[in-house]
Amino acid sequence: MIKNNLKKNPYTYFLLKLLLLAGIVFLFDFSIGNILRHYYFKQQSGLQYRSTYAFERTNEDILIFGSSRANHHYIPAIFEKELSQSCYNAGRDGEAIFYHYSVLKSVLKRYTPKMIVLDFHNSDLQKDSRGYDRLTTLLPYYKTHPEIRPIAELKGPFEKWKLCSAIYPFNSSFFTIAAGNAGFNKKRKEDMKGYLPIYKVWNKPIEADPETEERGIDSVKKKIFESFIKECVEKNIKLFIVKSPTYIKQTGVDPYVTEAEKIASHFGVPFFDYSHDPMFISDNGKYFADRSHMNNTGSQLFSEILIKRILDWKPQATENKIK
Amino acid sequence: MIFNSIQFVIFFIVVTSLYFSLPHNKRWLLLLISSCYFYMAFVPIYILILGFTIVIDYFAGILIENAAGKKRKIYLLLSLVANIGVLAVFKYWNFIAENFSYLFKGFGLDSPLPYLSILLPIGLSFHTFQAMSYTIEVYRGHQKAERHFGIYSLYVMFYPQLVAGPIERPQNLLHQFREEHHFEYERVVEGLKEMLWGFVKKLVIADRLSLYVNSVYNNADHHSGLSLIVATIFFAFQIYCDFSGYSNIAIGAAKVMGFKLMTNFNRPYFSRSIAEFWKRWHISLSTWFRDYLYITLGGNKVSIPRWYFNLFFVFLISGLWHGANWTFIIWGALNGFYLVFALITQGARDKINDITGLTRLPLLHRWIQIIITFLLTCFAWVFFRANNLDHAILIIKKMATFKGPIWFENGSMLMYSFGAIFLLLAVEAKQEYFKSSFSLMNNKNWLVRNAVYALLIILIFLIGVFDGGQFIYFQF
Repeated sequence: MIKNNLKKNPYTYFLLKLLLLAGIVFLFDFSIGNILRHYYFKQQSGLQYRSTYAFERTNEDILIFGSSRANHHYIPAIFEKELSQSCYNAGRDGEAIFYHYSVLKSVLKRYTPKMIVLDFHNSDLQKDSRGYDRLTTLLPYYKTHPEIRPIAELKGPFEKWKLCSAIYPFNSSFFTIAAGNAGFNKKRKEDMKGYLPIYKVWNKPIEADPETEERGIDSVKKKIFESFIKECVEKNIKLFIVKSPTYIKQTGVDPYVTEAEKIASHFGVPFFDYSHDPMFISDNGKYFADRSHMNNTGSQLFSEILIKRILDWKPQATENKIK
Repeated sequence: MIFNSIQFVIFFIVVTSLYFSLPHNKRWLLLLISSCYFYMAFVPIYILILGFTIVIDYFAGILIENAAGKKRKIYLLLSLVANIGVLAVFKYWNFIAENFSYLFKGFGLDSPLPYLSILLPIGLSFHTFQAMSYTIEVYRGHQKAERHFGIYSLYVMFYPQLVAGPIERPQNLLHQFREEHHFEYERVVEGLKEMLWGFVKKLVIADRLSLYVNSVYNNADHHSGLSLIVATIFFAFQIYCDFSGYSNIAIGAAKVMGFKLMTNFNRPYFSRSIAEFWKRWHISLSTWFRDYLYITLGGNKVSIPRWYFNLFFVFLISGLWHGANWTFIIWGALNGFYLVFALITQGARDKINDITGLTRLPLLHRWIQIIITFLLTCFAWVFFRANNLDHAILIIKKMATFKGPIWFENGSMLMYSFGAIFLLLAVEAKQEYFKSSFSLMNNKNWLVRNAVYALLIILIFLIGVFDGGQFIYFQF
């Protein structure tokens, strides 16, 4: 009877049915989303686990920030030994300045590290929409870390609305979460306080970078890059910005490195550029696993050389112009 | 504005709500304004090109109808020249200029054709073909010329099918703009269901597969033959779900408002021959070429060699329709070749089937045919997806080695991809072979039905690719 009456008014009938469907969707979304959240933060290994550690559990004196190049190039054990301070490598594969700044914000909310090394990658300043897509990494922390929300919302104008879904932050993460809980990653990859060694050797001749497209500087990234430096400086954290070695032939001035050096110099922060350092590239590909990543041998040498330079470094205005 | 965006969802809700709120005589105006807005969300200036063809074809239709004898043909030709001219300039000019340049260089001369710095207006081939079908049908006397300029404009610009079809015929669509469509619960739900399945196809299947396909195809020289085979098979499903997903959303959105658009895909990968494949794939384009080109050339009512030529030529042009690149021409030619070859070898193949006993095993015979057809289409897709001919040849050479490890960035990449294909095949196999049996989406139990809708929405949240971008066919 009620159904027949409702059917006479198709709009009301439709809206009522839509509301019921929305209710079912909400129920599924809420329950599946919360199960995923629970297991996401319960992971014991893998890159999502390392991110959670960086956001929520770090307490080390020295933190390394950067992309996969940070992950594979900086060995915390050497930093700890040489500097007698605890160290964690908070780099994450494929990430750029948005992620590094978000981790920094979360870290600074809990404590102030003594030293930060930021491994600079051109994508930290370069215009590239992929940088914004990568903000997906931050979404699991959106709910519990209000300090990162403005950065996560840079992903798109409707991100806030999409995040009403409990599942959405864990989009495409199902298998990764399962692997992280099963300890599968532990067996597969070594994780030494965030450092991931590679043991391959790149037996190929050095070549120029095939990607020569000039994309320009992203003004939002530049602003975030500046904020990263500014907040470290304000908190009296010793900040070192480093471009670690690459196995790429230098063909000219890198506009992104020039810009980064300029910004660092403005804040009186040292910028060490090892990207084309002959010490690493003169011995063929001995120190590299591929064009952009050093192998364990290269990383050991690089970590030692960098620490020596950090120890020798005196806060002088001219120092950051070296190299 | 792309369908797989929040902007479109908002746009659709607003336009549909307004559509049912307005009196019937105002609805065409709402649809026209919203279609203009929809199109201008891409590159606003290109609406002028659309406007140009609309004006030409509107007057051409009236002039053709009013004229007699040779004049009718002249007006039709003028309309066709204008439409093909727009296509030639915006889509093919630089391709022609490039080939002229190579040709002239061979003789040590400079090409007289300059390159134009222009962007291809989105969906140009679709709305141009739809506009051409109108003047041709008026000329053939199958359709009365539309006197209402707004309604005619809407026929070309109706937003659900404006940028990627289905390419409609005036007899099917024009009269629907004059009919009053009421809000009918069952029809609206059917439309929304079709849209939902379209979104699943695009976001969960096509864009998921594109991650693997793009990674492999964009670095083909670094990938093994086996990875390229996997990527090509994935591409076959990617392009199907991308394009048919768009069609589902378009047909569903139109259905919600009471419009019936033609079916564009009918589970093509269950085809037993290339001829059947083309009856199931991009049906609105295949029938367009059949009705306006193949039949005009004489169809199969000519000598056998001429019939073969007609078939081959139509597919060659169909390839060119897809894009101004030799890869598309080869793709079209390859499909034409498959068809002609199938006709020539029909007798021999029947004999082989008799000798091997396959005709006595219809189920096995059917699946062998389906698999062979699928593999042939996959081979042709290599040309469709490759950046240029050299790239296509490199890929085919590598695939022929059938060697090397299968690349994957992480395990989940392949698991999601195979899962997505499995979902598609399960749904389509059910539709193809078990039509009348148990249905989840049309289940009599309200809770089961709604739980399935909800789960499909959840599937999009869970594994849909939200940064996938445009539909492949927009570029045509």
